[in-house]
Amino acid sequence: MTLFALTLSFSAFTALSLAMEKHPQDLHGAAAATPARRARWRVLGWILLAVALTLCVVDHGWAMGPVRWLGALTLSGVPLVFGLYPYRPTWIAPLAIALPLVGLVAALL
Amino acid sequence: MKNGFRQSMAWLHTWTGLLVGWLLLLIFMAGTASYYREEISRWMRPELPSARVSTDVAAQRAIAFLQDKAGNAEMWYVTLPQPRNPAMSTFWRVPADQADPSKGRRGAFGDATLDPNTGGELKARDTRGGDFFYRLHFDLHYIPVYWARYLVGFCAMFMLVAILTGVITHKKIFKDFFTFRRDKGLRSWLDFHNVSAVMALPYHAMITYTGIVTLMVMYLPWGVKAVYPQDEDAFFAEAFGGLPEVSAPAEGRATPLPIAQLLDSARAQWNGIDVAGFTVSNPGAGNAVIDIRQRDGKRLSTDTPALRYDMVSGALLEASPPSGGATATRGVMYGLHLARFADGGLRALFFLSGLTGCLMVASGVVLWAVKERPKHAKRGRVGFGLRLVDALNIGTVAGLPIAFAAYFWGNRLLPLDMAERSGAEANVFFYAWAAALLAAFLWPKRLMWAWQLYIGAATFALVPVVNAFTTHAHLGVTMRSGDWVLAGFDLSMLAFGAVLALCGWRMQRWTPPLSAAEKKKRAAAAKAPAAPATTSADASV
Repeated sequence: MTLFALTLSFSAFTALSLAMEKHPQDLHGAAAATPARRARWRVLGWILLAVALTLCVVDHGWAMGPVRWLGALTLSGVPLVFGLYPYRPTWIAPLAIALPLVGLVAALL
Repeated sequence: MKNGFRQSMAWLHTWTGLLVGWLLLLIFMAGTASYYREEISRWMRPELPSARVSTDVAAQRAIAFLQDKAGNAEMWYVTLPQPRNPAMSTFWRVPADQADPSKGRRGAFGDATLDPNTGGELKARDTRGGDFFYRLHFDLHYIPVYWARYLVGFCAMFMLVAILTGVITHKKIFKDFFTFRRDKGLRSWLDFHNVSAVMALPYHAMITYTGIVTLMVMYLPWGVKAVYPQDEDAFFAEAFGGLPEVSAPAEGRATPLPIAQLLDSARAQWNGIDVAGFTVSNPGAGNAVIDIRQRDGKRLSTDTPALRYDMVSGALLEASPPSGGATATRGVMYGLHLARFADGGLRALFFLSGLTGCLMVASGVVLWAVKERPKHAKRGRVGFGLRLVDALNIGTVAGLPIAFAAYFWGNRLLPLDMAERSGAEANVFFYAWAAALLAAFLWPKRLMWAWQLYIGAATFALVPVVNAFTTHAHLGVTMRSGDWVLAGFDLSMLAFGAVLALCGWRMQRWTPPLSAAEKKKRAAAAKAPAAPATTSADASV
C-alpha cells in the first residue's frame, strides 16, 4: 500500500506542477496553461494527495500514517524535480498515468 | 547586520549554515547511515548465523546458557533475535563480592553474543559495526563525550536557525516548489539547495528538533537540578522509569517456570505483539522475577511497555505505568528521531529523506563558494576565505564518502586477530578522511573534486568485490539464498559507487555557463534577437 501512496503522490505532484504558470509551458507549450485548466490541475493534485494520505492512515493508523505520507511526498517529489523536469520532461505525463496503476496492482496482489 | 528583515535573515542563514556546515554533514551522514545500523552490523560480522529459530526456542537456549555460565549472577539481560538481527545478545551482573576488582565498575558485568541455532557463544570479529556511525552521530570520536555532545547540540541549534531563516529567506517557496534549472551555474546550485530543503522540509525540521530533544536534559539541566537538587537519578526514575527496583534475592532456590510459558502470557497481554527481550532478576532464587519487554514496530514512542512476572508462580506482578503527557511527548519525539518503529518501506523513506538532508547541507556549503567566486575572479586572485571553504568542501563533501567506504574496507581487510581491532577500523575511517582533507588543502581545484569523487566511487563500488575475496557471504551466495539484508548492503554499495562516479564525471566535464553579458555579446555578433528577458532577471537574484 505504501507503494500505491508513493505513486499517487507522484501523480499528485505532477498535477500540482501543471497547475503553475511555468511548468505546463515546459511540457506542452503556452496553449496548455489557461487559467481554467490550471485550476482543474490544482484540484486534481490536492485530491490525489488527500487520497494518498487516506491510504496511509487507513493502512497504518493516525500515528504511523502521516509519517509515511510525508516520506512518500519527499520521495516522489525529488525525482520529479531533479530528474524528470530538467532531463526527461517527456516521460512525466506517461509516468504520472502509469505509475499509480502499477502501484494499484502491487497493492491488490 | 544588514537592513531589512529578509536581508538580515539571509545573512543569518548564510553564516549559521557555513559555520557548522562541514561538521553538520558528518553528523547528517552518520545519522542517515544509522537507520541501517543493525544491517551494517550484520554485514560487518559475516560470521553471524542467518537461519532463525522461533523466539521461544532462542529464549530457552539463552536461559540454558546463562544458567551454565552465570548461575551466580544477580541479573541477566537478554535481547532476543529480531527480524533485523539474527544473533542474541546477553549481559549479566554478578554480586559485588564476586566481581573482578581489577576491572573497576565493569568487573561486575559479563556479556556474550549467542547463536540462537545452537545456544553456544558466537565468536565474531571484533567490530563496532553500525554502532560506530550511531555513536559518531552524537558522540563524535577521539574527544570526550561530554564536549562532543555539546558540539553536536550547538550544530543542531544552528541547523534549526538555518532552517527557519532559510524558509523566511526563500522568497518564492511555493512558486519555485518544482523548479530546478539545470546548467545555469549559481542559479542551479541555488535551485538545488532550495528543492532539497523544501521537498523534505517536514523531515529536516522534525529531525533537527527531535535531535535536540534527545539530549535536552543534558543541554538544559537546571529544571531538574532545581526540583531534584540532591538526586538526579530520582528524576529519571520518576519520569522515565518503568518498573520499580526488585528486592534482594531470597534464601533458597526454586525452579522457574518454562520461559515459553512466561513469554506466551506476555504476548496474550499485548494482543499478540511479540517480545523483544527480557531481564531476569535474582535468577534461580525463590523470588526470581522476569521483566518482559515489548518489541518495537507498533508505536512511535521509544518508551517500551514491559510486564513483570513472578518467575516461579507465573503471576503477573506489575505492568509499566502509562506515561504522563510530557514523558509521552518526549517518547514520541525520541521515537521519531530514531525511527525504530519503521518497517522496511518506511525505513527506506527515512533513509532517503536523510540523504536529501545530506544533499541540502552539501549544496549549501558549495553554494557559498560558487557565490563568492566571481568576486575573487574580478580581483584576479583567490582569497584566503574562499580557498579555505573550497578545501573544506572538497575534503568533506567528496572526502567523507571515501571515509565511509574505507571503514567497510577496514572491516574486511584488517587481520582478524589484531588487538584493538574495532578501534583500528574507526581509525581507518579517520585516516581516509584526513587524507582527503589534506589533499584538498594542498590543491583545492575543480579537478580535485573530480578525483575525490572518482576515488569515492571506486572505493564504494569495490566493497562487494573485497567482500567476495574475503568472506563466504558475497553477492553470489546471498542473492541465491535470498538473504536480502546482506545482498542489499552490497547492492547499495554499488549504487553509491555509480552515483558518485556520475557526480565525478559531471564535475570533470563541467564548463562554466556564459554570463549574461557574454551571451548578449555573442547574440549581437550573430545578429540574432536579444536573449529572453528572464535571463537577466535570474542572474540578479
